[in-house]
Amino acid sequence: MTRNTFVRLTLVPAIALLATLALVSIGGAIWFALSNRTLRSPDYDFVGAYNFLRLLRDSRFFNALEISALWEVITVSGTLGLAVLLSVLIYETVQKPLWRNLICFAFLVPVLLPRVAAAFIWRFMYSPSLGVINYLCGLLGIGPVEFLADPSLALMSVAVVDIWQWGLFFTVIVLKLMETLPRDPIEAAMLDNARRWEIHAYVTLPMLKGPLISLALVKAVESLRSFDLIFVMTGGGPGKATETLDLYAYQMGINMGGRISYASAMSLLLLLVTTIAFTIIWKAGKKWAA
Amino acid sequence: MDFKTLSLSTALCTIAVPLIAQEACVGSLGTLNVIAQGMPAVTALDAHLAEFNDKWDTEVKITLLGENERRAKSRLDASTGAGSYQVIYIDEANLAEYVEAGWVHPLADVVPDTYDLGDFRTDLSNVATVDGVQYFAPFVGGGDVMMYRKDLLEAAGIAVPTTLDDMVAAIKTLNDADNGAYGWSARGQRGSGMNVWRWTPFFRAMGGEWMDGDAPAFNSAEGVKATELYTDLMSYAPPGVATFNWSDSVEAFRGGQVAILIESDVFGPWMEDPAKSAVVGKVGYAPPPAPLPSAGWAHGWAISKVGASEDCEKTIAGDFVGWATSKEMEQNRINAGIASDIGRVSTLQSDGYKALVPQEYIDALLATGPKTSLLIMASPAWPEIGDNLGLALEEVFSGTRDDVQGALAEAAFFAEDSLARLK
Repeated sequence: MTRNTFVRLTLVPAIALLATLALVSIGGAIWFALSNRTLRSPDYDFVGAYNFLRLLRDSRFFNALEISALWEVITVSGTLGLAVLLSVLIYETVQKPLWRNLICFAFLVPVLLPRVAAAFIWRFMYSPSLGVINYLCGLLGIGPVEFLADPSLALMSVAVVDIWQWGLFFTVIVLKLMETLPRDPIEAAMLDNARRWEIHAYVTLPMLKGPLISLALVKAVESLRSFDLIFVMTGGGPGKATETLDLYAYQMGINMGGRISYASAMSLLLLLVTTIAFTIIWKAGKKWAA
Repeated sequence: MDFKTLSLSTALCTIAVPLIAQEACVGSLGTLNVIAQGMPAVTALDAHLAEFNDKWDTEVKITLLGENERRAKSRLDASTGAGSYQVIYIDEANLAEYVEAGWVHPLADVVPDTYDLGDFRTDLSNVATVDGVQYFAPFVGGGDVMMYRKDLLEAAGIAVPTTLDDMVAAIKTLNDADNGAYGWSARGQRGSGMNVWRWTPFFRAMGGEWMDGDAPAFNSAEGVKATELYTDLMSYAPPGVATFNWSDSVEAFRGGQVAILIESDVFGPWMEDPAKSAVVGKVGYAPPPAPLPSAGWAHGWAISKVGASEDCEKTIAGDFVGWATSKEMEQNRINAGIASDIGRVSTLQSDGYKALVPQEYIDALLATGPKTSLLIMASPAWPEIGDNLGLALEEVFSGTRDDVQGALAEAAFFAEDSLARLK
């Protein structure tokens, strides 16, 4: 047995398992999407592309698509922005390893908190009448601010919680990556009298381009799974202001409507859109990092 | 045979026949499958199940599920004819569907008279009844009660409102937002069991009807008027009310910020909990002011026609429902300090219950009973229709849209589709 054959053979079980899990569920979703199944009754008919055509006339679906895209942009850029900013700040101002490690440990806590627990805590903190954030706003003479009830603020307010959880975690990763960078280019820049921010903007961060792109993709995938956070904090409201696609699919398929065929069609379109979007972003990212 | 002998024979037969039937069924059913939701009345049964198991030489197996899962599983079990469950947990939102489909036995046909079905609270029995026939034995539920701050009303010289107009005037007078005191609170968050549930009494008080023949009609002038009043009252409520769920609303009241609140009566005892309430002893209870009706809801157990089709299955399942919702079982819960799940009038009047909640609250419950009924649309499509209506209402409450008529019309248009899918 050649080495290549051996490698292929050992990969077969894992790939077969993964393929089965993915293909069976996608196949099931396609089968559901072509019928008019509901949870109310075991009877159903084959309806062809009806569910997909109905989606194209569904304004709530397009609203959900727009909110999902906004959510992705805000949370991914916010998380990476916060991570880069804080890691540079800590890298520059905290030199003692003990303090750095203590800060890193503290920054890991939010991401260890279950999403639902974090959502409840922040929901309470945002409360206009009982929450600590509004209390602080009150001391500054602002408010009360309806963070979760104001349609123009709600999405951003929920995104802050996501960024708080993941931005601090990513700070630790970026900081540890910066510590592993070779000193020579940084010292060369210092000899050239480059300012601190210039060293980071033109030397350290470009050296971390590859890992940062990977982190962005990881976060983008993770952001697609923020159902629990949004569900607990706003339930998709006020109105449809925070209703992402997965939330809309849940409302239609599981919660009240029980229209699992319609929800399956929605999930398939989401799968298609994200696969195309991620492929384009991945290729662009690879080109940029090269 | 003289009259005396005839009477004696009849009496003996009346007692003996059921006993013989009962004897014949002992040991005939290995497992009695029950589907349920984890309410205190259900979980408290665990301590007493051995008693029932011994009586019938069976094993009661209670499957606990969340609300939506419980609804979906019961529906599938009955609609597919699987019949795995003899006893199913049912509520106000799916009763119409079960009765229409013929999936449940009328309660009086299967539960023995000895369990005194007439003792169930009128407000709960009304919800459990379709066309004069009661289909499930309620153990939790109720209607609405108006909770008000006695101290604030007294200080402002306002009498307890008995009409909607009086209540609106009192709310406006008592509102002092600059000092963190609000006249009112309500549910704003979307959902058929959330904002729609609280909006419905206003809609029905205005004379609104869900349907006009086969077409949804809640986008009527009455619907618009109810929505406008509900929205107007929200401006006298704590900030953020547009997305308040029942918990936010109740917490704002027992946190001492709100003067008047109409909520489900089960929250009454919450106000008297010294560990969590800042308004203990300051709260008065009264029925919702006229013409507001009281939104009835109830959860309880019914006997499945599909799961309990044989005589012995019916007998044992019927006895279980009677036993699990009996006066004695409720007293067991009261003795354990559980005052939230009360299905019977006799329990409301018992000394044990009176020791746990104020008399004024009990009086309000009894006074609200006659004006409590099922106010939501009695249709299997209701959960979907209500959910969508809730979204339209939340958009209006949060200011995302100000076109009330348009929002309701959109929800009614959606409802047409939901209703058409039933046919």
